[in-house]
Parts: sequence; structure tokens; C-alpha cells
Amino acid sequence: MNTIVTLLLRRLGISLVTLLLVSAVVFLITNLLPGDPAQEMLGQAATPEVVEALREKLGLNQPAHIRYLNWLGSLLSGSPGVSLANNMPVAELVADRLPRSLMLAGTTTVVAVPFALFVGIVAAMYHGRRADSIISTAVMFVVAVPEFLVATVAVLIFAVELGWLSAVSYAPQDPTLGQFLATYALPVLTLSLVLVGQMARMTRAALIEQLQQPYIEMAVLKGASPARVVLRHALPNAVGPIANAVALSLSYLMGGVVIIEVIFNYPGIASLMVDSVTNRDFPLLQACAMLFCTGYLILVLMADTAAILSNPKLRK
Amino acid sequence: MSRDTAEFSRRQMLRGLAGLGLTASAGSSLLLPGYLHAEQTPEEIPQPRYGGRIRVATMSSSTADTMDPAAGSLSTDYVRHYMVYNGLTQYDEALRGQLSLAESMETDDQKTWHVTLRQGIQFHDGKPLQPEDVVYSLMRHHDPATGSRVKPIADQFESVTVTGPRKVRINLTSPNADLPEILADSHFLIVQDGTSDFRNAAGTGPYKIAEFRPGVRTIGKRNENYWKPGKPYLDEIELVGIPDKTARVNALLSGDVQLVNAIDPRSTRRVEQAKGFSVMETPSSLYTSLVIRQDVPPTNSRDLTLAIKYLLDRPTIKRALFRGYATIANDHPVHPSHPFYAADLPQREHDPDRASYHLRKGGLEGLRLPAYASPAATGSVDMATLLQLSAIPAGLNLGVNRVPSDGYWSNHWGKHPLSFGNINPRPTLDMLFSLFFKSDADWNSSRWNNPKFDQLLAAARSEGDQARRKQMYVDMQELVSNECGIGIPVFMSLIDGYDSRLRGLSPIPIGGMMGYSFAEHVWMAA
Amino acid sequence: MNKLYTRLGIAGSVGLSLAGLWLLISLFGPVLAPHGPGEIVDYEVFLPMSAEHPLGTDYLGRSVISRIMDGARFTVGIAFAAALLAALMGTGLGLFSAVSGKAVDESISRLMDALLSIPNKIFALVMIAAFGSSVPLLLLITGITYTPGVYRIARALAVNINQMDYIQVARARGEGRAYLALSEVLPNMIHPMLTDFGLRFVYVVLLLSSLSFLGLGVQPPNADLGSLVRENMSGLWEGAPAIMAPAAAIASLTIGVNLFIDSLRGRD
Repeated sequence: MNTIVTLLLRRLGISLVTLLLVSAVVFLITNLLPGDPAQEMLGQAATPEVVEALREKLGLNQPAHIRYLNWLGSLLSGSPGVSLANNMPVAELVADRLPRSLMLAGTTTVVAVPFALFVGIVAAMYHGRRADSIISTAVMFVVAVPEFLVATVAVLIFAVELGWLSAVSYAPQDPTLGQFLATYALPVLTLSLVLVGQMARMTRAALIEQLQQPYIEMAVLKGASPARVVLRHALPNAVGPIANAVALSLSYLMGGVVIIEVIFNYPGIASLMVDSVTNRDFPLLQACAMLFCTGYLILVLMADTAAILSNPKLRK
Repeated sequence: MSRDTAEFSRRQMLRGLAGLGLTASAGSSLLLPGYLHAEQTPEEIPQPRYGGRIRVATMSSSTADTMDPAAGSLSTDYVRHYMVYNGLTQYDEALRGQLSLAESMETDDQKTWHVTLRQGIQFHDGKPLQPEDVVYSLMRHHDPATGSRVKPIADQFESVTVTGPRKVRINLTSPNADLPEILADSHFLIVQDGTSDFRNAAGTGPYKIAEFRPGVRTIGKRNENYWKPGKPYLDEIELVGIPDKTARVNALLSGDVQLVNAIDPRSTRRVEQAKGFSVMETPSSLYTSLVIRQDVPPTNSRDLTLAIKYLLDRPTIKRALFRGYATIANDHPVHPSHPFYAADLPQREHDPDRASYHLRKGGLEGLRLPAYASPAATGSVDMATLLQLSAIPAGLNLGVNRVPSDGYWSNHWGKHPLSFGNINPRPTLDMLFSLFFKSDADWNSSRWNNPKFDQLLAAARSEGDQARRKQMYVDMQELVSNECGIGIPVFMSLIDGYDSRLRGLSPIPIGGMMGYSFAEHVWMAA
Repeated sequence: MNKLYTRLGIAGSVGLSLAGLWLLISLFGPVLAPHGPGEIVDYEVFLPMSAEHPLGTDYLGRSVISRIMDGARFTVGIAFAAALLAALMGTGLGLFSAVSGKAVDESISRLMDALLSIPNKIFALVMIAAFGSSVPLLLLITGITYTPGVYRIARALAVNINQMDYIQVARARGEGRAYLALSEVLPNMIHPMLTDFGLRFVYVVLLLSSLSFLGLGVQPPNADLGSLVRENMSGLWEGAPAIMAPAAAIASLTIGVNLFIDSLRGRD
């Protein structure tokens, strides 16, 4: 158990370094971008005089490293700054969207992870038999279609033709169960389809890898049932790679869902970040990047912890 | 009703409307603001129904959404601003500026204008409308830090001064007969004196802001004290942005939204066939142009410019790109429906032979030239592809360089020898020509320099006689069409889709959704 | 041929044929296509299948079959190269990390974390905004995007294998790190990494189409298969082949590659 605590503490320290690294990388990349918030705000209407005045007003005439240090300073004092595009506090913009992103991610996780594990384990149990090939082929089909097509077809069927669900996902403040389902069903369905394939395949692959190990042969020789072999013997040893695959898939739920957010008009963090790139809104972009990074680090930490806990050799 | 008579009686008309239609005999119903129009012909327009809430989706919305009229840049902004604010004037179906907050606008020389405000108008917070509000709203555009998108236009307001309890005098730098049209533009809507944080700004408009979250949604609630009798009709309007065109149509047809703009011409049949939904086409002077820089080689060759213009296959562009929802243009920005349209100017046809003649003459055969196109300029990518195909037989090797919307206007529009632009409808020819064709205009993207054109433009602006004014504009169109480095193949129609229960919509060709000002006009039938 | 069939099984053979078909199309498609990819062949848009236009016409009245035959090479080429790039870099780094000391392992892992935590579409958005869209850049972006993913899986596998008794034995024998990595660890990782390669290929194809949804993919007049789906979205309602055919093309390409790779890992 001690290892876990040390690991957590060490990871915390390293995470801060990683975050700093990401913020520097993001800042560097944004500085490569042509144009600046003043130009983007004015669009076609950008005349040199107005652009210059706006730059002055937004503090863009300071050298890049000063702006970075300013931002870092204000972050350390607890404020992620003010959006350059609309002059609103970044914290407020993020606070508006974050709960929605977490809600979507959370709901999708609850639906997709158990289903994917189930599918992957079943496929591994019937490895090499008909059930396995049916499952594997089905999973492949699902993964093989672009998500924007899946989402649009789903909208066409369930919202436009049948009228059961809503085509734009904007839940009221305190949704009833019915409203909740109507709002979340389609985005969750689409996202789950994307993720289940990924996770189920990795689960199956990791399990099958274990099934080819000598200790499994021993178990089989001892007369353990196939289900028992998979669940009791192979699964614990496959937790590492499976947890990794799940963590990776879930990190997708934060930033990768931009297309789903666009199609369902779902106001989440990913589209906020896309806007911040388009508007060259540096403080907002940084805040989003920090958020994604933090979320990702937490997921990875969880995956690594699971791997260590499940592998006696690593636990030492 | 021709434009000429309207202009002739402008001064009378603008005053007369204060007396609620007493001078209506001097004009036609076209001259009246929408609400007077409705009152006069009750048998044609069914009685509006009160109450209800609608959700409206436009094509654009981002965290840069704003409540500041001066900074408005996208369709959601314009809709939001017309919901919350009023202008001194407002557009009618023919894009003429009709009185709104102004009770009268008088001028003798088109240079000094005397504006009287209506009595008893209140902002949403209860404060009365004062002349100081008008001064602030118009003069703040001069400060570059405002970030106004219409600063070049506002620069002609030499001074705006309070001259009485309800009176304002606007001095222009030079005479401009189009001031009422200019002031109806959404950027010149009237805000409260001294407003700097617009997030909770109060306007005088038909809806009060109940919620405004940039990039998410705007909710407007009925302004019970609205100064136009009987208006508005709906209790609430929710405004969202759905950028994906397929998703926008799906949201309409699934009943999630009741009004959408910018429908793909390929989807109109689908909307019309669905039960309970309709399409409204607004022929407009919106155009996507080919910008042929006149100050850099190789496009500064007159032969190359003409050759490219002859290579534009207008009927195919109209048909293949816009499924007929377009009007063929003649390489100048004036829509054929405009009273000043140069009808006698021969239409430029798709003529590969003449194009290759010009290429040979200029010694430019086999030239390779990239054209910059982007989804930011509607239809430009496909237009470029068509142009590329028709250029091959003429001996011109055009490349299509498609770049993302992101940063297009700053980095590509007019920054290469050949690029595409996209110009929204403007209420007056003077505005169009001054902003985009005058030699020293910032947005004269082809860097065309023609002193004769500049002279004509200045003269036409202050010309009071409509026949002479028209002749000047006709001459300008001819100059632009034959000499300027701008190719304009077609004007695009704006297509809105709506739930058929939504009533009161009619085209105002400055933009879709009744020139973005539908909010005070529409109601939901049972 | 028969021998190959027995080796691969039905699924594997189907997969190989599909993958082979797409390889041929991407090599010779542009030459064999009945029309140029940009040529407008009919005034009617979204035409159904006919003898004249085997897969109908697209939203501008262009020949869909010609556009698919022309576009396949972008999808196949970029996806293959990017998946390969990601697999080589990811596996290499993962292996190196697993057999190296703690410090090296930590540094590489943190760097990969930093990369991975930036959402791939937004990474692409920023890169393309900064450098403009081009095929080499798309390749690089998608390759880099998937490197950390491969790395994490490769490293997890390698670390696990590294704990196996036979490795401990080899280490006790005094074998060098490079030998351990290449001769003992790597061979035992090949199968999962191959599966992973197949999946990555699919992901790159899908990421490319996502990018084209956002207007960042292969730029017109060229179009990869994803762009073809995207640009014909308004034909979905009519069930036009202009949208069904490229979608089916993506599906058959990705499934073919996966079936083939799956059958390889089951045998040999």
C-alpha cells in the first residue's frame, strides 16, 4: 500500500511539471499562429488603425514572454485571466461548460465501459469460435464509420423521422428523467459506439495474449472452466493494458468530442477550446489545455494504479 | 413606386411619418414601417397571436458573441442586437431607412441633419431615451479602442450634438443623401450613454435579455413596455448557433428549432416536402468575388484580368453551386433589382475564346497561378474548382489553394494575386462602392486605382437630383465591370427555413431572417 | 494461392482481398477513373446509380466513382504512412523506456503524457492554422497524434513482459539491454502491436475524415474518402450513392485491413 501513496505523491509533483510543460508548449504553438485576437475579432473589418488600438487595449503589444509570465503569475494567484474575445472571466466561461462536458463524459463512461469490457471478455472467452468472429466483425463495422456520419444518421432516424429524441442537446437546468434521456441519448449513443470498439478490441487482445501464456495451460490442465480461466486467471494479469486502453478512450471524451458538440450543438469544453483557437484567445486556450491535461493525468494515474494493484510483481 | 419619387418627397415623408401616416398619400405603403403597414391592411394579414416561445438557430456563434452593436460580426450578433436595441431608422423591404427611434430627420443640404427623437421611449431599465444616448452611440465608433466594425463609415460623422431635449444635430464631413439608410445598420443601433460593459446592457428594443452566454445561447423576454403599439408578439425567443448546415436543417425538421438561416440550396426541397415547414428565399446582393490584384504581377495585366472574367461560367455557377438560388451578376456589385442598375451594360458571357485571345495578347499562355479559396468565402472553393476547369482549355493553369476559414480574412483575402472575397449586402450603393472599390479604401481588395471612379463616387454621394445620380452610378458600374480587378459571377439568395406556424416573415434583403430583424415582426399561429 | 487461403482462413482472405483491392485502386485509380475528379459530368446532382454514372453524381454533378478512385490514394497513403510512423516511434520509445532506467522512463512518459493530453483534433486545428494544410503536414500530425497512444500500450506490454521469469533469467545471464529489448521483449509484443497497428490505421482514416468535417483535411479539389462523405452530407436524406459509396469505401478499407491483420495474429 505504501507504494501507492509514494506513487501518488510523486505523481502529483510530476503532474505539476507536466502541466507547466503543456502550458509552455501551448504558448509556443499559439505564438506560431498567424493573426492575433485583434485581427480575428475584426475579421474582414480589420483596418491597421483599429487593429493597433485593439492590440493596445488587449495588452498584445507586450513581448510574448512577458505575456506568458503574466499569465502564469495570475494563474498562481488563482485567476486564469480574462478572455480576450469577450472580456469575460475565463473561470466563468469554463465553469459554464465544464459541468456539461463532465456530464456527457460521465454518462458515456457509465454506458460504454461496462459494455465494452463485457463484449471484450465474451469475445476472449469464445476466442477462435463463431461468437468471437461475429463480435469482432460487428465491432469493426461500428468503428469503421466516421462519427459525424453516425451522429447525423442517428439524428435523422431518431429525431427527425421518429421524433423520439432531440436533435440539439440542450438540457434545461433541472431536467426530468425524460428530458435527460431525450437530450443525452443521441450524443451518448454516438460516443459509445466510437469508444466501445476501441476498448473492446484492446480488452480482447490483452486477454488473448494472456491466454497463450503457460500458466493458463496449467489452469486448463487442472480442469478450470473457460469462464473461470478468463475471469480468474487471465483477467487480473491483463488489467494493466486494459486499464490503459480505457484511460486513453476516456480522455477522448473531454477534448475529442468536438464533432459531437458541433453536431448536437452541445456547449462543452471542446468547442470552447476550438473557439479559443479561432479567436486566438490565449488565456482561454491555456485554461482549456490545462483542464484537458489535468483530466488526462488523473485518468492515467488511475490506470497505472490499477495496473500496479493487479500485478503482484509491480507492487513490490 | 420608383426610387426617384421616394427621394423627391424624402424630406416631407420623413417628417410626415411622425404624424402616423398622415402623409401616406404622398408615398406608397412601401414607404411605411412594417407595423404601420400591418395596421393599414388588416384584411390581408391575419390578426397576430400573442404568446409562445420559439428557438432560432443561426449558422454562427462562438465565444466572441457580443452584445455590443458596434462589434457585431456574425448573424447571431445581428439578430441579438435587433432584438435588444432600436436604431434611429430601420430598413423596409426595399432597404430604405424608415424612421424608428427618430420621429423626424430633416436636412436641406444632405450634410447637416436634424433629428428629433420620439417621445416617451424607455430603455429596459426604465431610463428614458435621451439625445445624449444618440451622441454616445454614434460617436463611440470613432474611438479605435471600441473595435467598431464600421469605423470607416462612422468617420463621416463629423460631429453629433445635442440641440434640444429631444433633438440631435448630425454634421457630416461631406453631404450624404443616404444617412437614413446608414443609421438603420445594426452597428449604429442606439445604446445607453456611457455603456462600456455590454453584457447586461439595456436597449429600447422589443426583447429584454434574460440570459446571454457567448457561444451557448441568448434568451430574450418580451419587453412589455415596448414603444411600438402591440409589439412584440412572442413571450420569449431563444437564440442558438448551429454551424453545421445539415444539423441545422435536422434541428428544424425535428421541431427543436422553429427558424433557421443559411439553408443549403440542396436542402430546400427536403424542407418544403416535410409537412409543416417552409422556405423563404431572399434574393440579395450578397456575393462571392474573385479578387484579381491590380498592383502585383502577374495579375496587374489588364488582359489577364479580362481573361479571368471571361472564364467565369455564370450559368453553371448559378445552377451547379446554388441550384438556381442566385442571380447572374455582371462583375459589378449592383443587383439587377436595384433602381440604379445599369441595365444597358452588356452581360459578360462565359467566352473561352475571348479569354484565350486576351491571354495570347498578354503573352500569358501557360501561366500557372494559384487561387486562394476558403469556406470562409461561401462557395469560393467550388467556384475556384469550376474556374480551374474552364481555364484549362483557354491555356491558363489555375491552381486551387483551399485554406481553412480560420484567419482567412486577415491572411489571405486580397493578400495573393488571386483570392476570393465575400461581401455581405450593404444598404446603399455608396457604402458598397466606398468600402470596397474606392482607391484608398482599406477593403479595396484588388487595389484598383481609378481617379475617375473616385470622382464619380464623391459627386454621386452629394447629388440631390435622382436622374443625374443614377447616371453616375451607371457609369461607376461600367467602370467596375470593365476595369476593376473584381470578378462577380452571381448574387446569392439567402434561404431561411421555418416552422409554417411562424407568421409575419417577409424578406428584407440586407440579410436572412428579415434582415436579422424578425424578432419584433413574427408570431406563432396556433 | 490455396496455401495462402488455408493460412488466412475465410475472414483473412476477405480482408486481404479488400485491402489489396484498395491498394490497387489507390495506385491506379486516377488513371482508370472514367472522368477527372473535378469534372462536372451532369447538371443533375445526387443522381442514383446508372450505367452512365456507376455510382451517381455528387453535390456538384461530378462523377462519384471517379472521385472515389482519385481520393482513395490520399486516405490509404496518409493512413498507412501515419500509422506506420506512429507504430515505429511509439513501439521504439516504449521499448526503450521499459528497458531503460527510471529517469529515462519518467521523462519519456511525461513528454508523451503532455502530448497525449492535448486533444488530437485541436492539435491538428492549431498546427494547420499555423502551417497551412498539406498532405505531408497531415501525415506528420496524425503520426505524432497516435505515437503516445502506441507508446503507452507498448510500454505497458514491455514492462509486463519485462517482469516475466524468462526475462529475469536472461538478465541474470548478463544479456545487454538492447539484446533483451529486441530479442526477448519485442517478439512477445508483436501480436498486440500488430492489432494495434490495424486499429491505428482505422483511427487515422477516421481522424482524417473528422478533420475534413472541421474543414482541415485534404484540401479540394483533392478529396480523401472522408471529405467525400462530408461534402455530400446534404444527400444523406435522399440516400444518394454520393454519400453511401464513400462511406462504404471507408468501411470496407478499414475492415479489410483489420480482418487481414487479425487472421495473421491468430496463426503463424
